[in-house]
Amino acid sequence: MRTNFTAEQLVDPSLREAARIIGTCDHYGFCTNTCPTYVLTRDENESPRGRIELIRAMLEKGGTPDAATVRHLDSCLSCLSCMTTCAVKVDYMHLIDHARVHIQRHFRRPLLEQMLRALLAFTLARPRLFAALLKARGLARALSWAMPSVLRNMLDMIPQKLAPSRALAAGTHLSKAGTHRVALLAGCVQQVLNANVNAATLRLLQRHGCDVVISEGAGCCGSLALHMGRADEARRLAAANVRAWCRDIDAAGIEAIVVNASGCGTTVKDLGHLLADDPALAENAREVARLARDISEFARTLPFVRPGGNFGFRVAYHDPCSIRHGQKIIEPPREILRELGFQVLEVPEAHFCCGSAGTYNLLHPDTATTLGRRKAQHIESVAPDIIATGNIGCMVQIGRFTRVPVLHWVELADWATGGAMPPALRHVALPPPQPLQPSIPDDGTPRPDVGFW
Amino acid sequence: MTAEHAKADAFFAAMTKVLGADGVNRAEETLRRYGENTMPAGDRRPLGVVYPRSTQDVQAIVRAANSHGIPLYPISTGNNIGLGSRSACEAGQVVVDLGYRMNRILDIDERLGFAVVEPGVSYQMMHDELMRRGNKLMLDVTSGPPQGGMIGNALDKGAGYTPYFDHFGFSCGMEIVLGTGEVLRTGDGALDAADLVNWHTSKYSFGPILDGLFAQSNYGIVTRMGIWLLPRPPAIQSFHFAFPDDDDLDEIIELCRPLKLSNFVPTLFRVSNDLYLCGSEGESPEYRASGGKRSISDAGRRALRESHGLGAWNVSGAFYGPSAEAVAPMIQRVRDHFTRSGKARYIDHDSAKAIPPLQVAINAFSGVPSLGELGLLKWRPGGGNIWFLPGTPMDGKIANAFQKICRKIYEDFGLDYTVMNVCGPRFARGLHVITFNRDDADECRRADECYKAMSREVAKRGVFVGRAPLDYHRFHMDQAMPSYRNACGAIKRALDPNNVIAPGRYGITA
Repeated sequence: MRTNFTAEQLVDPSLREAARIIGTCDHYGFCTNTCPTYVLTRDENESPRGRIELIRAMLEKGGTPDAATVRHLDSCLSCLSCMTTCAVKVDYMHLIDHARVHIQRHFRRPLLEQMLRALLAFTLARPRLFAALLKARGLARALSWAMPSVLRNMLDMIPQKLAPSRALAAGTHLSKAGTHRVALLAGCVQQVLNANVNAATLRLLQRHGCDVVISEGAGCCGSLALHMGRADEARRLAAANVRAWCRDIDAAGIEAIVVNASGCGTTVKDLGHLLADDPALAENAREVARLARDISEFARTLPFVRPGGNFGFRVAYHDPCSIRHGQKIIEPPREILRELGFQVLEVPEAHFCCGSAGTYNLLHPDTATTLGRRKAQHIESVAPDIIATGNIGCMVQIGRFTRVPVLHWVELADWATGGAMPPALRHVALPPPQPLQPSIPDDGTPRPDVGFW
Repeated sequence: MTAEHAKADAFFAAMTKVLGADGVNRAEETLRRYGENTMPAGDRRPLGVVYPRSTQDVQAIVRAANSHGIPLYPISTGNNIGLGSRSACEAGQVVVDLGYRMNRILDIDERLGFAVVEPGVSYQMMHDELMRRGNKLMLDVTSGPPQGGMIGNALDKGAGYTPYFDHFGFSCGMEIVLGTGEVLRTGDGALDAADLVNWHTSKYSFGPILDGLFAQSNYGIVTRMGIWLLPRPPAIQSFHFAFPDDDDLDEIIELCRPLKLSNFVPTLFRVSNDLYLCGSEGESPEYRASGGKRSISDAGRRALRESHGLGAWNVSGAFYGPSAEAVAPMIQRVRDHFTRSGKARYIDHDSAKAIPPLQVAINAFSGVPSLGELGLLKWRPGGGNIWFLPGTPMDGKIANAFQKICRKIYEDFGLDYTVMNVCGPRFARGLHVITFNRDDADECRRADECYKAMSREVAKRGVFVGRAPLDYHRFHMDQAMPSYRNACGAIKRALDPNNVIAPGRYGITA
């Protein structure tokens, strides 16, 4: 795509990068095939290609963007499905982030929306505050009639039952063997909405010989703020994490920084880019990004203990976009679940977003609901006993549209290697697990309804 | 308001009544993008886009087009990149986008191994559905876009690589809305009955075989098609051979032919040159230096081959069987056959999985849609891409002679010879990729002239193309004998008397 930035504009490194990215788009349009908002609307401006054009025009013009442009850019899920399918690999992820920063700096949103976004950015990054607010959800529900619809929607997102929030204590959680030493990002929202994910991750790692460091001062990765255009806030949070991890790297060495919320993982792996212009931290950020591993990538390298038991439940695995498209990790979670005896079911339209997308389902409830229902229908079509995924946002979003229990796969891995049954399954009448059966017999035995081999 | 505008407004008003407001799209950005393509002659802005939900909607669209004198241009998913994309034959046609709302899998018969689909069903959708049903059947896929449409590809005579490679040949039973608005069923579906048992199982029923009329034509809009599916084999083991020299193509073709004549190897052979495989992995390392004026050098090609562990020519095929062990002896026989002359280097299945361009081949043999080959589109910047698709008999000397002719023409025009020969028993389709910078007028001109020069040269030697980019449909139809052109025109007049369906497509004129 041709651009027409002035030399003066291109002095700004952000605009320079944006111009370079825009210039790589050749308009093939493969991105439109897999973009959820385009597939739903057939509106060119609701496609990545259309948005790139809008971003080009917005950035070239500078100043206040028009409301229609903001609406189309806001409605992007940042699912990055377009980046997977793009023939020329346009770096849409960074481009849309630049656009969001520009909007945040130059566009005056309605007051209520400004307040809502500020509230989300402030609260979600602070787990204690978020937990305290959630405790008041009963009262809030009682008063929901008096709230604006956007706040009612947010209340609806909160699961009815929440286990007590338990933050992992900072410090080193030793294992018996001490074979590995890793840091674990305890995160923010996840530990409030489902404390068992971190607990199960910790148990799984310790059981397999990993000393686990919860770095003092590490917290929210910054991705929620970043995707709302609050780049400075995102950098502040990211910088705190880099400093915290580097202290522990310097003190005793860390072989990996494990992340069990894939949305956060995508951001942590990109810290080198986010903090590239920070002379004091750029190198450390690159080192942190180099060490970052999704829990599935790291766990795949561990020789699992198998205390026994039949776990042949039908598990539909849902790929979070941040892991499938952001980090290009597809097989490791499936391989782990299969190795541990679960029957992993492939879900149609696996490349498609569930509508969670960070704060998207809070800010765009209609589209998010359409996508959530569509995803749940696809998942239920494979008749699973359990739904497993790798991101807290997807867990909450999908859980709104199905009665099938939704877990982080790490909770299943913890269970199958000696941990307790995950809380989400304790009051569920699961069918008896089936003995493992490959979908196609590997002995070539002909079956009555398919070919003879 | 001109008469043309009034005609168009009346048509779209009628369409809005039938399809609803969201079934008609005339937004500026939509028209611009639907007009885009990758070919040298430029974009062609449509008059509008309509989105039918059903065969009845398509009938209503065609009837309204007849009433108002509006030319239509049907597309399935619009992923025919390099051959036309979603762009109509001529500016001012109305794109009938069947991919948005007519994308249902109507039936899958797992016992008889067939599916019935609407035009918007993509390879990925069918693959996902077969996986959901337990992965007992597999479909033949192209190595192109996973979101490409099964019907669109079959009707354009597209192909894959498994025993069911011939997508039109392995289709069975169609429903078509003719240019008159009438609905026609082909094959056993022609029976005037409500319940049709053999529509999608028997191609040869009473009366003339009409199906072929709708492959590469503009006589109707296909709204439903049966597609045969292959039982998924428990084991798929690929084999690959890298040959060092350009002229090894002669030997390769001679080696492949007997294996396909007896069908000892069940897949087609993918015989790809270095650039066809390496080209998907990044931009030409010499493009920027030469400003796109010159073909990549032999040294540059050698360096690419070395970095990817590939040869000047690379052969891929696969065996199906009950287990890897069961097919191992067959692979050994093929290995002995290919390595006898001492030129071929064997690459086994597991090693090939680590070489991305060969993983594309494995996916194709396995009926798994994949994105890898789309990388070819970034070999040169600027988004220009056309495909030249002639073929040769499976005769090594002839195939090699064609290589020399086409390679020289590519080089004469400063372009990069990029080709895969997809080899069957008697014939190999030559998938020649012309990637060029569409933003560079001179490179566009060279791509256009290169395409035409190759077309003329192979035609002199008695070879026609199998498929063609939209820009060249008239050019190729003009290469056909007069009586063929006349017959195509006569059929057009009979089935689409007002010439409303894709006027100009495939060079067929009323």
